[in-house]
Amino acid sequence: MDYVFEGLMDGTTDTGVPVAAELIALADAAITGKTDQLERARTAVVKRLGSDAMIDAAAVIAGFDGITRIADATGIPLEPPRAADTVDLRARLAIDRFTLAKW
Amino acid sequence: MPNGFCTKNGSLLRAIPNQTVESGLLLKRGPGPNDHLWLPMQAEIRADLSGNLSTAWRHLGEAGTWWTGAERVAIAAETRQAAHCRLCAARKQAVSASMITGDHDRAVDLPAPAIEAIHRIRTDSGRLGESWYRSVIADGLTEERYIELLSVVAIVVATDTFHLAAGLPLPVLPVVRPGRLSRRRPAGAKPGLAWMPTLAPDDRTADEPDLYRDHPGPRERIGGNVQLALSLVPNSMIHWWDMFETMYLPGPAMRDFGRDYRAISHAQIEMLAARVAALNQCLY
Repeated sequence: MDYVFEGLMDGTTDTGVPVAAELIALADAAITGKTDQLERARTAVVKRLGSDAMIDAAAVIAGFDGITRIADATGIPLEPPRAADTVDLRARLAIDRFTLAKW
Repeated sequence: MPNGFCTKNGSLLRAIPNQTVESGLLLKRGPGPNDHLWLPMQAEIRADLSGNLSTAWRHLGEAGTWWTGAERVAIAAETRQAAHCRLCAARKQAVSASMITGDHDRAVDLPAPAIEAIHRIRTDSGRLGESWYRSVIADGLTEERYIELLSVVAIVVATDTFHLAAGLPLPVLPVVRPGRLSRRRPAGAKPGLAWMPTLAPDDRTADEPDLYRDHPGPRERIGGNVQLALSLVPNSMIHWWDMFETMYLPGPAMRDFGRDYRAISHAQIEMLAARVAALNQCLY
């Protein structure tokens, strides 16, 4: 199965992952703190996948909201093989621009 | 139930009438496929998740390695306060955070470099750089206290985001418990990988706790560099990873693509992880 990684960056392109739109809407509302959109996003995930899936999705979203801070606040680098394997992908998705504003 | 968590206890979804709760979950009632009703209620949470969230939360109030229980709860309180800080909001809008100076809107009495670290990690972690880290260390925050502070901030952020996403009320701050600081820095910690020294699995001595889950074997925490990030303070690393692995997946389950361990698939889990990393501008 080939996935479309652009959807991870723009939040709208279909990634090819089942129920992606509903799950990404939940992540976006939770991370950006848009509480007015959260209930609708939760409801949509429950409708498609059930309440256990909504809880597990909330847990993943929350866990990565924490671990991204750990990675960024320690300067921990990508493992060299992983960095080498993802050079093209990171350039295509403009992920490297994340480093430009660091201080 | 501790911290407002509703655990699996034999019941299905538990309605809580006459109580304001953000979530509206689909409750299936009766035999018909369309015979269901929307009610305000709490979702049940698997026991390992609710248990480890509660354990991590309780640890926040206990004496750590370098911060007292009272200080750790103060760090937790300040993590929540940072979301309302006007200086942080202005910095977030600036091309570079360094362009904006001023005082943080603070809620607790902690040293200034600790307040700065909490606020930047909470509100703008994607733009943190080594020069900023060196500045808070130069201002008097030791490397070890920085790492333990970071683990507390990360636990509060993850816990609060989970409650927000799941439609549950935020837990009240934990009770402060007395205790002595161990102030023990791992002898085998070495500089070079991150901004601060880290303790590689093979450099761990018998004096350190089992932070990489070597026992009974095989080693469970063999993942990427990020697993070493908090290793300068082994108990802080353990508190974070024990919680995080139940929110995401333990290492062996993460690498087992032949089976799904959650109610969402590996692909859905990784998509959510990557989306959150993108939103937080996390390169790793």
